[in-house]
Amino acid sequence: MRKFLRLCAGAVLAAAIAVSPISPASAQDTKGTIYYLVPTLLDEFQTGSVSAIEKFMGDVGYEVKSLDAQNRTDLQLNQLDDVLNLDPAALIIAAVDFDAIKPGIEKAREAGVPVMIFDRQITSTPSDLTSVAGTVEIGELAAGEIKRLLEEKNGSATGKVLQILGDPGDPYTLDIQKGFEDTMAGTDVDIITQAAMQWEASNAGSIAQDQLLTNPDIDLIFVHAAHLAVAVAAVLEAQGKAPGEIMLVSSNGAPVGLDLIRKGWEQVEVEQPLYAQAAALAMFADKVVNGEELTPGTYEVTGLPSTLTVEEWGPNIKIPGAVITADNVDDPKFWGNLQPPAEPVSPVE
Amino acid sequence: MTAITDDSQRLGPRRRAVLEFALDNLVWLILLVVLVVFSLTIPRFFQIGILLNILEQSTFVGVIAVGLSLTLIAGHMDLSVESVMALAAMIVALTFGTGGAGSGLELTPAFLAFPVSLAMALTVGALIGLFNGTLVVRFGINAFIVTLGSYILVRGMVVALSGGRSVYGLPDILRVMAVERIAGVPLTAWALILTFTVFAFILGRTPFGRHLMMIGGNAVATYRAGIDVKRTVTIAFVLSGALAGLAGWLLASRTAGATANLGIGMLFQAFAAVVIGGVSLKGGQGRLSGVFAGVLLLTSIQTAINVMGMPPHYTQMIQGSLVLLAVLLDALKGAVRRRYL
Repeated sequence: MRKFLRLCAGAVLAAAIAVSPISPASAQDTKGTIYYLVPTLLDEFQTGSVSAIEKFMGDVGYEVKSLDAQNRTDLQLNQLDDVLNLDPAALIIAAVDFDAIKPGIEKAREAGVPVMIFDRQITSTPSDLTSVAGTVEIGELAAGEIKRLLEEKNGSATGKVLQILGDPGDPYTLDIQKGFEDTMAGTDVDIITQAAMQWEASNAGSIAQDQLLTNPDIDLIFVHAAHLAVAVAAVLEAQGKAPGEIMLVSSNGAPVGLDLIRKGWEQVEVEQPLYAQAAALAMFADKVVNGEELTPGTYEVTGLPSTLTVEEWGPNIKIPGAVITADNVDDPKFWGNLQPPAEPVSPVE
Repeated sequence: MTAITDDSQRLGPRRRAVLEFALDNLVWLILLVVLVVFSLTIPRFFQIGILLNILEQSTFVGVIAVGLSLTLIAGHMDLSVESVMALAAMIVALTFGTGGAGSGLELTPAFLAFPVSLAMALTVGALIGLFNGTLVVRFGINAFIVTLGSYILVRGMVVALSGGRSVYGLPDILRVMAVERIAGVPLTAWALILTFTVFAFILGRTPFGRHLMMIGGNAVATYRAGIDVKRTVTIAFVLSGALAGLAGWLLASRTAGATANLGIGMLFQAFAAVVIGGVSLKGGQGRLSGVFAGVLLLTSIQTAINVMGMPPHYTQMIQGSLVLLAVLLDALKGAVRRRYL
């Protein structure tokens, strides 16, 4: 028994060493190692962000090592503490919690390690560069498209919309909700809002199933992530609905959402420009690492006109989200088509 | 203070039978009251479609709760059921799904995908159950530690196998369980009813079920009575894993694919249902009819929240309160039994 346990412990240790992300030898040919603190790998956008950031940072000479916080604030703070001891060139953070990570960011910057914020904007403390699509803006874009779809169906922007959020503890979904509801205010659209706990797809399916029984006049369902749309479409199909009979709009632009558009179940996907958000960090990485000032203005990031401003929390580059419909769904620029730009990113001079 | 029960407080045989029946089925009574209250107070709640939704949406938590009950009754526990369910769903989706990370395997004739995928899901679940059971029984490691490790390991396998990507586009034959109905009731709900019926029979009417109860009550005495305790407990873990595999297969059918976070949070719902249903966490006690009522009760509350549009933050508060209430009721039932029966 003891021998078996020793054997197991040895095997686990050997495996841990083998797969350890910390391998100093491989960093020798690069400008340095940047650590990317990713909030979770249970989300296709985040998984895609890991490969995109590694690719684009590789283009400009940095090695990237990614650490998954498993949606745990405490774990992300621990990871931050750990990597500060590894002489990183910079950190990229997509926060599990916008507020909880604040002391960690301050600690890193005090230690002279530049911090770049990816996707999840943090305004409560300064950082060295923030690259966002603007989640509130995604909600606003979705609202504009939903108004258009309702007008096409009902002759005016009236009707009933079921909005399915992600986990109600996630500020990302709350920002989209804010943008959406603020833009829809003043219209004659009845909005029912429910949340899919823990972003779990079958929860979204159950909400749609229940609501369609009690509110059979729902015109459109707006879900805050494409993987939730899959479960909703599955429920619609099981109920004998034809594609498009109840309209479906989603956000984030994941491959599943694009496929639903191709099949006619979904009408609009509001994309988070994952590739451009990642590329923007790479374009400015040298300047951030060297502590140089970033010049405000308009920059072309993977073909998208993006605006860099200097805000209270530091330089902030905002990349416009894109609206994907049946007309443009196959455009390779959308990350959901999983064709990263072949052309390498060039550093901003 | 006296520890001696006053015989004058004992009930007659008829009243005693009624009280015993009421205590044994208290959770059904609570479910009935809750459904009546919801029907009277929530507009459009009382309709056959909502009741069928409750039944259908209970399927996944219900099936894993059966497996969890088996291990709990045997005096152990299986925390890995949620992750095993997700892994089974992901393996089926990766094999047969046409979109995302799916490999789109096509069998000829096409209907073969149905039994093959089911066999895959059951096998995956049973193998992990066997792994858990072996570590618990043969190596004497605490089931909490073993299955907690499996819970984390298996969820990691789901993420690693899919690369974090969603899989979708299951062929129509694999969506049959979610789409088709018999007598107006979805096939997934029939699967739930069948599972509870079969395992209630196994627990109540077969030597295996009786042995499981005996082991949970006193494993040493059961061993001395000549019953193969190790084999019986291992089978309980295998069945628990296989049931989780079945739940995963049904869940993949319902969601037309799988995501890396599929089913997350269902373990706690299953635990809540099992406790509400009266299965003792100390082992040796429990009836699946109570667990069934517990699952239906939790799903009814979730459905009511969906229909009312109540902020979802309250769901967990209500579920947690229900579990605490169930524990208190269990203690109260024990006191009533000691006093009157």
